[in-house]
Amino acid sequence: MEIFLMVLALSLAGVLVSGVLFAAANRDVQPGASPVLVPAAAAGEERFFMMRPAARRVAPAPYVPSDVLALQIERHVRLEQAAAERFHEFPSVEALHMPTLSPLAG
Amino acid sequence: MAIPDLVQGLSAADAAAVLALGRAVELPAGGVLFRLGDPAEAVYLIQHGRISLTLPMQLAGREQDVVAEEYGPGHTLGWSALIPPHRFTLTATAPVATTVLAFRRAALIEFCAANPHVGYALALNIAAVVGQRLQVFQAMWLREMQRAVNNAHA
Repeated sequence: MEIFLMVLALSLAGVLVSGVLFAAANRDVQPGASPVLVPAAAAGEERFFMMRPAARRVAPAPYVPSDVLALQIERHVRLEQAAAERFHEFPSVEALHMPTLSPLAG
Repeated sequence: MAIPDLVQGLSAADAAAVLALGRAVELPAGGVLFRLGDPAEAVYLIQHGRISLTLPMQLAGREQDVVAEEYGPGHTLGWSALIPPHRFTLTATAPVATTVLAFRRAALIEFCAANPHVGYALALNIAAVVGQRLQVFQAMWLREMQRAVNNAHA
């Protein structure tokens, strides 16, 4: 009888421990309690064998001499003035938005 | 040369009388007809060549005149001489050797006072020049605005 009670008590204890472990393994993740990920490297920090993504690099604006820029603007103005004068002669929505070949009109 | 815009609608005799008021001014390539801010005392009619109207812009950290409009033979410019405060709002230069007829404001007004029918026609022609420039600039401004909006939302 004593042996029977001891086996029963051990079995109950085993079931309880198994239940606690099972509940801990299957509990729901709390919303907003996402794990904090520590980045392997801070932004901008370079490490051996690690390259920064190219997309993060800000491409420098291409240098255009002011004389070249002035010529581009002159050409742009001539083309735009011609387009605007066509609109003045024959006003229409299409004429108002007619594209030109100016590289500054992109 | 086609009939200049200043004397459109006038009889040949009246047009000749108006054109006779003008004094020919020769400009070499690169010559300046007037500068932004100068007192506007004369209206100009381009006879030969070309006149560029420029405005100052900041390019690469320095001020540079860039072309805002350009006109050829038969076109009138410098109508600021007829409209207060009689100051030029652009700089006019000749990119090539150019000849213009300069009509002094006092001479034009005196002639128009003595010949009201010519004055009426000249006033309409000047209004047509101003109106044409205004509408062309409105269209140019709207096209630039459209591009700015397109670029902002691209």
